[in-house]
Amino acid sequence: MLFDQAVDIPEIFKSERVSVTLIEGKARYNLRVKAADVTAFKKSTGLKLPSKIGSSSLSKVVSCLKLGPDEWLVIANSTQQKKLDKVFEKASKDFICSITDISHRNIGFEVSGELAAKLINVGCPLDLSLTAFPVGKVTRTIFESAQIMLLRTGEDSFHVECWRSFAPYLRDYFKRVMTTRY
Amino acid sequence: MSAFRKAGRGIVDSAKAINFTFDGKTYQGFEGDTVASALLASGNHLMGRSFKYHRPRGVLGAGSEEPNALIAIDRGTGRVTPNVRATTQEIYEGLNAESQNRSPNLKFDMGAFNNAFSIFFPAGFYNKTFLWPKSFWDKVYEPFIRNMAGLGPAPTADDPDVYASSYGHCETLIIGGGPAGLAAALAAAKSGEPVILVDENPQLGGSLLTTPTIEINGKPARDWIAKSLKILSKAENVTLMTRTTATGYYHDNFVALVERITHHVPNAKIGKVREELHRIRAKRVILAQGAIERPLVFNGNDRPGVMLASAAQAYLGQYGVAVGNEAVVFTSHDTAYQAAFDLADANIRIAAIIDVRDEVQNDLTEGATQRGIKIIRSAVISKTFGTLRIKACEIYEPETGIKTKIRCDALLMSGGWTPSLHLWSHSKGGIKWDADIAAYLPDVANENAVCVGACNGDFGIAAALSAGHKAGQKTGGGRKVYKTNEADFGTGVVNNGLPNYIDTAKQKAFVDFQNDVTEKDIKLAVLEGFKSIEHVKRYTTNGMATDQGKTSNLNALEIASKAVGKPIEKVGLTTFRPPYTPTTFGALTGYRDAELFDPTRKTSIDPWAEANGAVFEPVAHWRRAWYFPKAGEDMHAAVSRECKATRDSLGIFDASTLGKIEVVGPDAAKFMNLMYTNPWSALPVGGCRYGLMCREDGYIYDDGVVGRMAEDRFHVTTTTGGAPRVYRHMEDYLQTEFPHLDVWLTSTTEQWATIAINGPNARKLIEPFVEGIDLSPEAFPHMKLREGKICGVPTRLFRVSFTGELGFEINVPSHYGRALWETLMEAGKQYEICPYGTETMHVLRAEKGFIIVGQDTDGTVTAHDAGMSWAVSKKKKDFVGKRSLARTDLTANGRKHLVGLLTEDPNIVLEEGAQIVTDPNQPIPMDMLGHVTSSYWSEPLGRSIAMAMVRDGFNRMDETLHVPMPNMAHKVKVVKPVFYDPKGEKLNVV
Repeated sequence: MLFDQAVDIPEIFKSERVSVTLIEGKARYNLRVKAADVTAFKKSTGLKLPSKIGSSSLSKVVSCLKLGPDEWLVIANSTQQKKLDKVFEKASKDFICSITDISHRNIGFEVSGELAAKLINVGCPLDLSLTAFPVGKVTRTIFESAQIMLLRTGEDSFHVECWRSFAPYLRDYFKRVMTTRY
Repeated sequence: MSAFRKAGRGIVDSAKAINFTFDGKTYQGFEGDTVASALLASGNHLMGRSFKYHRPRGVLGAGSEEPNALIAIDRGTGRVTPNVRATTQEIYEGLNAESQNRSPNLKFDMGAFNNAFSIFFPAGFYNKTFLWPKSFWDKVYEPFIRNMAGLGPAPTADDPDVYASSYGHCETLIIGGGPAGLAAALAAAKSGEPVILVDENPQLGGSLLTTPTIEINGKPARDWIAKSLKILSKAENVTLMTRTTATGYYHDNFVALVERITHHVPNAKIGKVREELHRIRAKRVILAQGAIERPLVFNGNDRPGVMLASAAQAYLGQYGVAVGNEAVVFTSHDTAYQAAFDLADANIRIAAIIDVRDEVQNDLTEGATQRGIKIIRSAVISKTFGTLRIKACEIYEPETGIKTKIRCDALLMSGGWTPSLHLWSHSKGGIKWDADIAAYLPDVANENAVCVGACNGDFGIAAALSAGHKAGQKTGGGRKVYKTNEADFGTGVVNNGLPNYIDTAKQKAFVDFQNDVTEKDIKLAVLEGFKSIEHVKRYTTNGMATDQGKTSNLNALEIASKAVGKPIEKVGLTTFRPPYTPTTFGALTGYRDAELFDPTRKTSIDPWAEANGAVFEPVAHWRRAWYFPKAGEDMHAAVSRECKATRDSLGIFDASTLGKIEVVGPDAAKFMNLMYTNPWSALPVGGCRYGLMCREDGYIYDDGVVGRMAEDRFHVTTTTGGAPRVYRHMEDYLQTEFPHLDVWLTSTTEQWATIAINGPNARKLIEPFVEGIDLSPEAFPHMKLREGKICGVPTRLFRVSFTGELGFEINVPSHYGRALWETLMEAGKQYEICPYGTETMHVLRAEKGFIIVGQDTDGTVTAHDAGMSWAVSKKKKDFVGKRSLARTDLTANGRKHLVGLLTEDPNIVLEEGAQIVTDPNQPIPMDMLGHVTSSYWSEPLGRSIAMAMVRDGFNRMDETLHVPMPNMAHKVKVVKPVFYDPKGEKLNVV
């Protein structure tokens, strides 16, 4: 069936100094685990769940981002979805936890290039210098009127996630900035 | 060269001539000129008309403090900027400037009759005069006053330019790029941490630009600036921002900077950024805003040609412009002597220096003597002459009574200096009165901020440089001494009323030039009983113009303090508020216009609705399809058709916006029991239940169908608008009241696209596409849910109905929503499938008497009031709102109840919100029993229906009541609010 991710990304987003692309083909899970179960949960599932809020374990296959005291966002390649579904089904039985598929709830953008941080700072009030927001740091924050999740994947690249219906707003905002500025 | 341009003076580029127009006439200036400096170079001092009296005005200052020379810059349709200060607007080729507040032209202004009658316009004139008749205020007085009062007209066309905004961070933010700011930046740069230096002018250097003869450590100041800028530009951690005004200083070192990007660019393109609002969070702020010279308050001090001494010095030093051929200097402060000397050295005749003091320092008298300048001590100027430009002034020596008239074409005044405390005050920094300099100075800081240079009372260049250097260093490093050739900054005296032989009432001694407030007005305000400076300010409007009283506040304070008979520090200072200088609406709006104003949330099915002619309505942040009119249909016709089609055969509805929350964990049922009034423990897996949620006060807060996916997992739905608050409400209770429960909440509103299929053919439509679910009524009865696949994708299929018809709600992962919708639309053709919108949904549910939270309830309705006692568990020990439901007022008789109403005339559709009464013949106010909450035309019933909250409604069944409407009162019968299929047989068609 037709798979409609709410936004298209026009040509304008491929500029030399900053580009925005849609992150496609991802499975996402909201994961909540009771503190006492975390160690065993990690061992059982093989997931590298970071322990510090705002930190992440990044890999090309499965990334785990810690967003709250007992909350992780797991983003995996959709090729991993069936496997992960099984792993999580078992974990749900073995541990006190909550695992919810939110693959379609979120839309991901990759913002990269030397002006990536500047583009995000148009609407996000956080300090995105490498010292204050190093590679691997993740947080929920805002981009003007949209709640976003912001992850730094490289010195000049970010992964921005928002709820599906906010994606056109973000896309339009980025577009306005790029057409009037860069 | 223009007549008043001095060769070899100034830093404008005389090789680059620039043409511009002012009031239609072409002028020439040089690159680096402002409109004011270029006009002055041509000998043109008249630049505006005053606010109230329409008096001719020239420039008072040379910078952003300018109160008089306000002009409009016209760049074409929608691109007219009124109230621009001529002293800060850089000229560019083709610039088109216009004067304001004059008719028909600047030289001959009809409005100037106000001036002739100014004796009749004292402070508070409008408040006193235009009281009666009251009806005249809106239509006659106010429009007239607004028209006469003088700022430029607001533009009417849309502004096509783009305004940007962004956030930034730094370790040190330095505001002001004069000697103190530059020294601070040089020192701060060495830390390697991010430094931002901002200045409102096009060039950094501040006062050093206007005093070109100054040498720092033996080298010309310009060389020092150039060297400093070279170092700062090279430093990677330093950002230099010119043409950027720090407009406001907010909590925790959050500072707003407005950068004017193309205000100086000819033919600036539409579609590119014109201004940018930088929202900066700084670890520490260094304020190096300098000081503003204070005018002297004397009779006739506002004629074109009368200006601040420092302004004349700046026009010469920075722009190479002589403000006249023959100037008189009037001062109470030593610094005016340096200005006089600078002008004299450029061969401008200084007719005399009039000093209010009886003693003048020797070096100044010597300097004057060397230049052949006469000093008249203990004297004042009592009068000025000239209409569109000063021609002469009268010197008055009070001790002897001697009056001397001398010719002049410029009058330079200095009443001392006022340190700029604006941003410091925004940050709630404390201030203290300093009697020596007769001004307020910064006291205790409220933020991590410090003032350096003249704004801290560190007057003089060497002092400013040292203070800047000290503040710039992160940890108290060494002191740095700078050697300069500047003259001693000197001192001055306080002036709280200059002597004059003319009666005060007949003088025109201006305090606030922009709002036309005179000394007399302030004295009158005090006389009339206004003792607080805040009241004096509001009564006289002193300091309330767009210049925020930069040149007037202190003078007003001194006059008021003398009139009140209290020392200045007891009178207080008025509050400074952002913005520091007038800020465009564009800068405040930034990118956030049109589609960026606020997100419009759309479902995955929305593009189909748009393509198929839906009319939309906003529901919270969402836009939802309201109805789908066919050609020639109005809303009523479309909704009637949609209702009928759904009841007769098949309707399809996009319910994706319904809030969804996944409640998961071993204690999920316990949590649900606490959050909803209904019981959940016994609900089996695969079962659905209507859930009703109360607040702590027992009133209905939200509702929705909840499905139990597993022992430890619930799929909760909420109203569209209620989704965020229900989630917050649940999370709040979970974290604060029930933290012992092992349960978690995840918002899944946008994970699922939800399509509601209703009507007798609902099952037939979906059956061919569903895998793994037995849809037979026996296997899948009403209020059950099943998981399986539809069109090959996973679905959570609910058999529920908000219409009374056989109904299914199909949830699929969002990205498949549109494809599934289109598939079902195609397959539904055989059943004449009808897409319907929210209006039809509302009608269909009203026919069944289902409530809409927020329409039939208003935050004061309990479950019992709504006729839904059945939804409240009597067995549960606790749930949010339970204790409140036992309150005597909530159990008392005579509360309003939700009932149905049928009009006697079936064609009358009652107005929602209409009152309900027992006797329409009672005198107004009648005894009101309640109001209509929902009211529609019901196509299947062929008549109108309504729901209403009526006092004691359950006990009034079959009673006749009345609903007064604009033309007449209508008879209605009270009925149960179920109008259609009361037995619910339609739910179970096979």
